[in-house]
Amino acid sequence: MNVTLSDHLRRRAFLKGTLVTGTGLTVANWGGLFNSRAVAAEAAKRGKRCILLWMNGGASQLDTFDMKPGRPTGGPFRPIVTKLPGVQVCEYLPKIAEQIGKLAVIRSMRTQSPDHPDGIYHMHTCYKQSERVPHPELGAMIAKYCGNPDADLPSFVRTGSTGNAGAGYLGPRYQPFSLERSGRLPYFTQSIGDPRAEERRNELLRFMEGRYAQDHVAEPLASHRHAKERSWRLLRAKAAFDISKDWPAAKDRYGDTDFGRGCFLARKLVEAGVPFVEIGQENYDSHADNFVCHKANMQVLDPAWSSLLIDLEERGLLDDTLVVWMGEVGRTPQINNRAGRDHFIRAWTIVLAGGGIRGGQVYGETDRDGKEVKDNPVSEGDLFSTIYTTLGVNPRVKHYVGTRPIWATPEGSQAIKELLG
Amino acid sequence: MDFDKAMLAWTLPWDADWVTAVALLGRSRRLAAGNNLGEILVWDLPQKPDKPGGSVSPVRRLAGHTNVISKLLSTVDGRWLVSASYDHTIRCWYMQSPGDKEEKIVLNARAIEEADSPAGRRAGRKAPPPHEAEVRLQQAARTLGGRRSQPRSSVGHKEWVTSLAMSRDEKLLLSGDDAGQVILWDRAGGTEQRRWQVKGWAHAVALSPDNKLALVSERVPLVFDSGQHSAVRIWDIASAQPKLDLSKDFKMYIGAAAYSPDGKLLALGRGGEAEGQLFLVDPSNGKKLRELTPKHEYGITDLVFQ
Repeated sequence: MNVTLSDHLRRRAFLKGTLVTGTGLTVANWGGLFNSRAVAAEAAKRGKRCILLWMNGGASQLDTFDMKPGRPTGGPFRPIVTKLPGVQVCEYLPKIAEQIGKLAVIRSMRTQSPDHPDGIYHMHTCYKQSERVPHPELGAMIAKYCGNPDADLPSFVRTGSTGNAGAGYLGPRYQPFSLERSGRLPYFTQSIGDPRAEERRNELLRFMEGRYAQDHVAEPLASHRHAKERSWRLLRAKAAFDISKDWPAAKDRYGDTDFGRGCFLARKLVEAGVPFVEIGQENYDSHADNFVCHKANMQVLDPAWSSLLIDLEERGLLDDTLVVWMGEVGRTPQINNRAGRDHFIRAWTIVLAGGGIRGGQVYGETDRDGKEVKDNPVSEGDLFSTIYTTLGVNPRVKHYVGTRPIWATPEGSQAIKELLG
Repeated sequence: MDFDKAMLAWTLPWDADWVTAVALLGRSRRLAAGNNLGEILVWDLPQKPDKPGGSVSPVRRLAGHTNVISKLLSTVDGRWLVSASYDHTIRCWYMQSPGDKEEKIVLNARAIEEADSPAGRRAGRKAPPPHEAEVRLQQAARTLGGRRSQPRSSVGHKEWVTSLAMSRDEKLLLSGDDAGQVILWDRAGGTEQRRWQVKGWAHAVALSPDNKLALVSERVPLVFDSGQHSAVRIWDIASAQPKLDLSKDFKMYIGAAAYSPDGKLLALGRGGEAEGQLFLVDPSNGKKLRELTPKHEYGITDLVFQ
């Protein structure tokens, strides 16, 4: 059989990009790529971190950061002025209004996925949901490129209702570690026996698996052992998740809610070196009673988010910690007959702060009723390009799924230069 | 009155925004409606419609509120209308007043604006001719509280007034806001008689006929968060202390409440988007007596004993 050089390379590339299980099923190689180590080393040097405040269901831009008072789309909330000339925010975000100098408000998001599962996927990965390629979430990418592989703590932690894509092609090493909504560790992290006996048992397992692996080299076995090792390391470091001592002094500022506790924990975790934490807030999918929902939610959001920004700044962490406020969709300017707002992706708002983002500015503009973007439309890819760039990750870093190259952001995505400090 | 044979009598055109509260003024043929923008219009309904569903123009515009009208109540004689609003105020309107100047309003202004918008033009919509009405402008006789009207005042509500009830003798008003403040007012003087705080948003209030007890339904409308809360309690007004807690039997959002004229029954209506269940309760012990059927398709917003 004649094999040409190009055939040979394609075959090698294919083999490099796949694993074959005992049943012959081909699986991904967890994004094997040529330049990831260099990119990771470069990004990790910068020590950047990211906290994603996820507004599950989709917060209304018209009732928060892009208000249209006096217009039929305006609703009952009133704007308050900020220190930024001409920039107003909702009256129920008074503490965040005081932090406007830290915020970059993008009022011109124009995105593609209008519903929850696809929107959650898209706004966590910057790619449309696809059965062919399992894209990794932002958290997994940051874990890979900004995390310390030798750390005991997980590099991607989340709580509440959050993303739905996981680590995708980056593999189990970068899967999120999910806490209970209250911020407590999952039940399986509790010791069931004497810790010293458990340690002896783990040592025995390590020894036996090590011996077995000498004669049975296979990636799934290695992955399994790796996951176990990481679990044991996590158990050693689990005190980092315990905020019980500090929370009483902080709860009045952050608000005594799940989300408030989550934001406080996020601050503690990034302080401890976790590169990515996602905290979800529920209750935004307000097809009915939009204003009641948003008023209640903003009273939870405002103290938690503002305290997080203040604490990060006071600890000298804000310059290296990007705080992203977003959900999967915006909400319609039209108010429906249930006093609700439905999903809207043509013109909505996301807010960035810290992490090298230039605060105290509004980027993009919508028309007088908030129905269309007037200038500077921003896509999912543009947003992620901006996030990756400010965190020191090359937004065009390339991974392989099988033989197929996949970039961190879609073709044509552009970082927003005006937002980068 | 036989509602089984109900048919459309009149249409009251008004598309400025959605209507949020309606009240007939006593036993008169005068009707008031408030909307999401804080506007209130008043109509005098003719004795008989010229044709079924024919339109009737408003005669009066009550000006002053600047945000959602959450409740409209009338005295039995129809001389006074009381309105509660998200603008933090309660206003009392003397409906025998001749009013101020006449003005012209356009009842289909929204339809015209939408047709003239870029989207309307793109869709090929044609603006309808303006539906004009001559109305008399009227100001409120009294405004109760309101941070915006009295910035430094400690009187009144500082948040959306979400609930309002009038005592049987019409001397008192009971109002609740979404910061959990419940206030008892002297209606004629506009002064506060009593005030107390509940944990959640005060969504439905009712006064017992002897003015001694107040039912307050409260909730914090959060989902999946530890801050979620709902409660239904009967308060002793004199001491501003809870007297009876009905929360165990009503683990739901109660959106409307009313005492019967003799005070022996309390009606509670489930609000929100769930089926509108209506319960009769013994107010002396909080015991659920019966549930009335059929249920409303959606939550109950108002209740009245006749």
